[in-house]
Amino acid sequence: MRRLYPAMRGLLHAVLLGLLGAGIVHIAVLLLVPQFSERDAWSRLSMASDLYRMTRLDAEAGGAPVVKSVDPLFYATACRFDLGEGMVRVKAPGHVPFWSVSVYDRNGHNIYSFNDHTATTGVLDAVVLTPAQMIDVRKELPEDLQGAIFVEAPIEEGIFVIRAFVPDDSWKPIVSRFFEQSSCALQDF
Amino acid sequence: MLKNAFLTLLTLVIAIGGGGGSVWYALKVQDGVGAIRIGQWTAFPDIGTSSADPYSKARVAREGVLALGRAEGLSFVAERDEGGAELRRECTYRIEGGFPTARFWTLYAADQSLGVVETGKPRLAALQSYGVVRQADNTVVISASRHPMPGNWLLTDGAGRMYFVLTFYDTPIASSTGLSDVSLPSIIKAGCDA
Repeated sequence: MRRLYPAMRGLLHAVLLGLLGAGIVHIAVLLLVPQFSERDAWSRLSMASDLYRMTRLDAEAGGAPVVKSVDPLFYATACRFDLGEGMVRVKAPGHVPFWSVSVYDRNGHNIYSFNDHTATTGVLDAVVLTPAQMIDVRKELPEDLQGAIFVEAPIEEGIFVIRAFVPDDSWKPIVSRFFEQSSCALQDF
Repeated sequence: MLKNAFLTLLTLVIAIGGGGGSVWYALKVQDGVGAIRIGQWTAFPDIGTSSADPYSKARVAREGVLALGRAEGLSFVAERDEGGAELRRECTYRIEGGFPTARFWTLYAADQSLGVVETGKPRLAALQSYGVVRQADNTVVISASRHPMPGNWLLTDGAGRMYFVLTFYDTPIASSTGLSDVSLPSIIKAGCDA
C-alpha cells in the first residue's frame, strides 16, 4: 500500500496536467480552426472558379452546390475579388421580385449587406473598394459610377454574394437570366 | 524511467485528444451561444459577423457558411413542437399565428443539415408569404404533412427528424433592438402516422 501511494500520486498528477493541457489545446484549436480551414466558403469557391467569376451557389445550375445556399426559394451567385488589385464593380441589369447583396471578408464574415430598396432604381450596380480607394474616387467621381452603390470595405480579399427570390417556378428563368447577365469585374480608375 | 515516459505520454494523450475532441464535439452540436429564442424558434443574429463568438466563427469556417446579412434577413429554426417533442417527418403539424413585419417570409421543412427536405415531387417542401391564404385577422394557418391538406399545405416527406426554417427578408426585426417584442407562430402537433 505504501509503495502504491507515490505511483497513484504520479498518475493523478499526470491526469490533472493532461486536463489542464486539454483546456489549453481546446482554446488553441478553436482559435486556429478559422485560419486553417480548407472547407470555408472562400476555399470552396476558389476550387470551383477563378477570381472575378460569378459562380452559382444553388444546385439549380447543375451539380452539388458549391457553398450551401440555404433557402430553397432563393437562387444565389457569388464572385471572389481582391481589392489589392483594384476596386471591383458588380452589375446585374434587370428586375426580379427581390434581390439582396452581402459582402464577406476572407473568413466568411458578413461585413456589409443591402437589398434592392437601397438601389436608386432597383437595379444592382455596386462598387466595392477600400477606404483609400474611396478617397481617390471622391476627388473626381467618374460619370458612369454616379448611380452606383459604394461599399467601403477595409479588406483585401472578399466574396460578393447576390441572392434573389424565386417566388414560384415561373420566375426561375427570369432569375436565372438575371444572374447570367450579372458581371463582376475590376473597375479601371 | 519507463514509468515517467508512460506518465508523460498519458498527459499528452489526454491534453491533445481531450482538447481536440472537445472542440470537434462543441462544433458538432447545433445549439450554441448567442442564440435568441422566441417560443420554439431559435435565431443566431450574430452568426457570420466579426462580433460572433469563437465557436460560431469556427463553425462558419468549417461548414463554409455564408450567413445572411442584417439588411437581407433573419432565419429562425425550430426543432421541437409546442409540447416539447422533437419534430418528426411522419407527423402532421399546424403552424399558426401572426408573423412579424417583413417584406416577405419563407418557410421550409429541413433535414439535419438544414437543407430542404427532398420530396421527390415537383412541389418543394417550402412556402412563401405571397403564396399563402390568410385568415380574417391576418394570421396564417399552415399544415405541414406528408398527406395533402386543405388550406396552406407544406409538403414534407420521408421519416425521421425534421426542422422548420422560417426566414424573414428585409425586416426590421433583424436589427437587434427589434427582437424583444416579436411573437412567432406556434407549432402544434396534429397527429402522427402509425
